[in-house]
Amino acid sequence: MRTHRIIGVLIVITGLVGASSLHERIRFQRMVRQYDPPAPIEKIMQFSPTAVTGVIAGAILGGFRGPAANLLWLKMESYWHSDRWHDCLPVMRTVTWLDPHFVEAWRILGWHVMYNMTVETTDIDRQDMYLEAGVAYLKEGIAWNPHIYDLYWELGWSYFDKMDDFENAAKWLRAATEFEHPEYIERLIAHAYEKLPDIDKALDWYDYCLKRYPRDGTAIGATLTIRERYLASWRLLEQGDFHGAEAAVKHHLAMEPDDHIGRRLLATIYERMGDMQNALDQWDLLRATYALDSGAGRKVRQLKAELGIEETVRERQERLKKEQLQRLYERHLELHGAERGLGAPHGGH
Amino acid sequence: MRIVLHLAEQTVREAMRRRFLNVILLFSIVMIGASSMFSQWAPGAELKMMLDTGLGFIRFFGMLMAVFIGAMLIPTEVETKTAYVLLSKPVTRWHFLLGKFLGAFATVGINVLIMGGVFVLVMFLKRGTFEAVPNLYSNLAYAVVLLACEMLVLLSITVMVSTIASWIFTSVFAFFVYFAGHVSASLKHLATPEYYESPLARGMIKVLYVVLPHFEDFDVREPIIVGDPLEWSIVSGTIGLGLLYAGIMITLGWLFFSEREV
Repeated sequence: MRTHRIIGVLIVITGLVGASSLHERIRFQRMVRQYDPPAPIEKIMQFSPTAVTGVIAGAILGGFRGPAANLLWLKMESYWHSDRWHDCLPVMRTVTWLDPHFVEAWRILGWHVMYNMTVETTDIDRQDMYLEAGVAYLKEGIAWNPHIYDLYWELGWSYFDKMDDFENAAKWLRAATEFEHPEYIERLIAHAYEKLPDIDKALDWYDYCLKRYPRDGTAIGATLTIRERYLASWRLLEQGDFHGAEAAVKHHLAMEPDDHIGRRLLATIYERMGDMQNALDQWDLLRATYALDSGAGRKVRQLKAELGIEETVRERQERLKKEQLQRLYERHLELHGAERGLGAPHGGH
Repeated sequence: MRIVLHLAEQTVREAMRRRFLNVILLFSIVMIGASSMFSQWAPGAELKMMLDTGLGFIRFFGMLMAVFIGAMLIPTEVETKTAYVLLSKPVTRWHFLLGKFLGAFATVGINVLIMGGVFVLVMFLKRGTFEAVPNLYSNLAYAVVLLACEMLVLLSITVMVSTIASWIFTSVFAFFVYFAGHVSASLKHLATPEYYESPLARGMIKVLYVVLPHFEDFDVREPIIVGDPLEWSIVSGTIGLGLLYAGIMITLGWLFFSEREV
């Protein structure tokens, strides 16, 4: 009997070691195929204690990460409908950690940060921070879900619409075309190149649209417009004839001074010439006259930094006024948040 | 072997007559059937919601069955002295334990398969409410089999502990092991100098990591949602891991039971 016991103990120990080795091999294969969520439990608990109630902690511990993520998502929706925009952020982030294949969570997190949080502040640096964070979230979501169209679209559109970064917009929208996608994506890529501007690529993509659908009215109209307005100037620019290109686009802008694509082309010509002061003037004019061109504001700041231009007295006054408004706004949130028992906005972002 | 199978059959008959088991099964079927309702709360993520709730309910109710059936398996026989009768005949303790365990697993396995079948049926009937993904039903079948395997591991741990403890202690211990087994992956992160400077503490955590079951290995929700076909190498490896671990636990249980006075 003692012999049987010794053999039994040896079998148990050998079996445990063997099982552990087999588990490591399976774990590696699961990790390669992204079957497992990313964050260990202790990291989630450290990040946002308010987002993780006892019930959800129990769900996580019981191996119900998916249902826990869903419960947290419902909690986020209740915050959303109570206008608690800041409280939504740590909850959304926790959901993406619990369940990185929850595509909707990544999409809405990126959109919320880039579109909603940026308008909650007038501080330009803070706005830029939110935009960078939104891009980082969407890219992380893509890394976890590389075969899903939605996040590529969301990132490409955010670059196009919110950041006026048309180069990156075209890049990510092109990636989106690798999957089943709506037919307007190619036109959007062409439009992004048009606004960049990169007239050759814009025409190539519109050409592709026309080969696909010869009666594509938008592509036909855009092609005619580009050829009429910008092509001549673009060709001269490509040949290195900067003054010729400048004259060609100025001739068009004399007839249509509100054409922001033409203005962008002129600014690009000046930049390639090395005439940064004139380029700055064009971007500044765009910023002042075309409110939707947020990229123009960033270009102005970038060129001013390059040229070492300090802000004018008027700009300083405007900045101080904005900061004062921001402080008043935050004070208002604190007071009214205290009255409703909501507390101050979280800084967890 | 005939004795083992006979004991297993008797165990299944006894378990099926237990009222609490039928109540749990009925309640689980109702909840799984209602899992499609939760999908309405998250437009755009209907499939994910249904999978999480449906598979979550199967796991939860399967866990309850495995723990309660396993916890009462041996202690009941010992307390009612029916074990005396069986062991006085040419039935070895190994046959007795193995037969009981196989019967309990057959009971839990059948119930898990019933719940899984109901869930697959619900998914099929509600297929118009979510965006279709490839390989859905084949992946679901694998997922249900792996859930049954997970319950096999939990049941084996429960039966092992029940050979030396009362059913109350066994139940509590089994629940603890179930929760610990789902966060056992985190133990590997904890066994680093970042968290514990003492080599002894890190060594103990590593031993715990080796001994504890890793229930997260049986979770295959992610490829189902994405639509990737589950690879047979992973499925078979995981089933093999479950069988190996269950065998270890039953062997350990036999070692304990062989020393116990009945």
